[in-house]
Amino acid sequence: MWRVFSASATGKRNLEQGAAGQDASHCVVTDDVLVAIVCDGAGSVREGRTGSDFIARALAEQLSSTLHADRNLLEVQTEGNARLEATIHSAIEAVRTRLADLAASRQVALHDFSCTLVGCVASPGGGRFFQIGDGFAIQQGAAGDSVLSRPENGEYADETYFLTDENWKGHLRLTPLPAPERGCVIGLMSDGTAPFAVNRARSGFFRPFIDPIAAFLREATAPNGNEALRNLLESPRACEISPDDKTLLLAFVL
Amino acid sequence: MNTIIPDVALIDNSDERAPLVLVLDCSGSMQEENKIQLLNEGLKTLAADLKVDPIAARCGRVLVISFGGDGNVEIMGDWTDAMDFTPPELLAGGLTPLGAAMRCALDEVESQKSEMRTAGVAYKRPIIMLLSDGESTDDWRQVAAECKNAETAHKVNIMAIGIGDQANKETLGHFSNKGALSLSELKFKELFIWLSRSIRAVSRAPSGGTVQLNPVDSWAQLST
Repeated sequence: MWRVFSASATGKRNLEQGAAGQDASHCVVTDDVLVAIVCDGAGSVREGRTGSDFIARALAEQLSSTLHADRNLLEVQTEGNARLEATIHSAIEAVRTRLADLAASRQVALHDFSCTLVGCVASPGGGRFFQIGDGFAIQQGAAGDSVLSRPENGEYADETYFLTDENWKGHLRLTPLPAPERGCVIGLMSDGTAPFAVNRARSGFFRPFIDPIAAFLREATAPNGNEALRNLLESPRACEISPDDKTLLLAFVL
Repeated sequence: MNTIIPDVALIDNSDERAPLVLVLDCSGSMQEENKIQLLNEGLKTLAADLKVDPIAARCGRVLVISFGGDGNVEIMGDWTDAMDFTPPELLAGGLTPLGAAMRCALDEVESQKSEMRTAGVAYKRPIIMLLSDGESTDDWRQVAAECKNAETAHKVNIMAIGIGDQANKETLGHFSNKGALSLSELKFKELFIWLSRSIRAVSRAPSGGTVQLNPVDSWAQLST
């Protein structure tokens, strides 16, 4: 049911300092259920990449296996599906605790692993976006109608919120997703990708950006598509627009 | 291998908005010395000059609030991107409800900020420019104190400007921690060119920084 492509590019800012990119993404498709995560490690901490890598992988695996073990969690996809939301909530809590244990074993603070979270659970009956901090998630229907999860920033400054924050629960935002029909595309991205992937009104993808990509990827093999996506994110023009790390994960309904 | 996806448009859609509220005195006294006319022409200069600069045209967000008439405060249309800004034609008459006008400006700034936050649109610190030629006819003290507090909290940058000799500069000075300035010889055109250039500077400034505005000597009267 799903075809998924993803790529990350290290931004100019990190390249110039000889630092690694801080973004990570991971995706698990089990039967017809997609769980995808994009994390952006804070540039201001030393182990941002460790945090984003760990969370993206661990959370996608954990959520996917919980949902696989109990399909009933996805059965009722109305606004009030409290069980699915509780499942997402406790999965985040569980991996956050594991990250805290990792931090303790390395004698660093959890804060040193600071990263944002943009994720989705999508199944034939619908699903949820879940987000802490900046970045964007967009589900664009076949008719072009979009459901978004938008960034949460502090006032003016480049300040955002992290999964590793003490009060992460206060900043976790869940967005119900309608059943994905054929031709629908789901995109998760870090804040470095958003300036050119999201339209000016912040109401959906920038169509002159996403339409050619969607047309190309629908015909592409996975390695080829991922490479093309990475070339795009690493292109001089993309780097000119944003010096940040850039990640884009796209899932198409076949 | 070097796989390229053809025809992808890469454009920066993320400009941070630079909100500007003009709080304009349209009381009866603005009819004298052709002031209302000069003000209207100044607004046209502002609209045209903002559009000349592509970044300011995209980033500037403008709202006009007039006060006067029957003691009324009127929001003249909606918030508009500078590229779409067409100034209203202002008419002079009536009283000078300065306090109510500034209360309205503070409220509008906060609700616009909250709208932009909801939409995920980043923004710079808004500027409120207050222009008045007379004496406030309503209770302004409480609002003036709130204006100063909002400035101290970095919520807004307020410029209070007196027009002509009859403007009560002492009252105007209470609306900003920087005090009030005086417009020299009805130089509305110079004032609005300066304002447009300031919006250009704010539009280009990095996030979170403090913007140094241009010197005001093209239009401001040095205190006597």
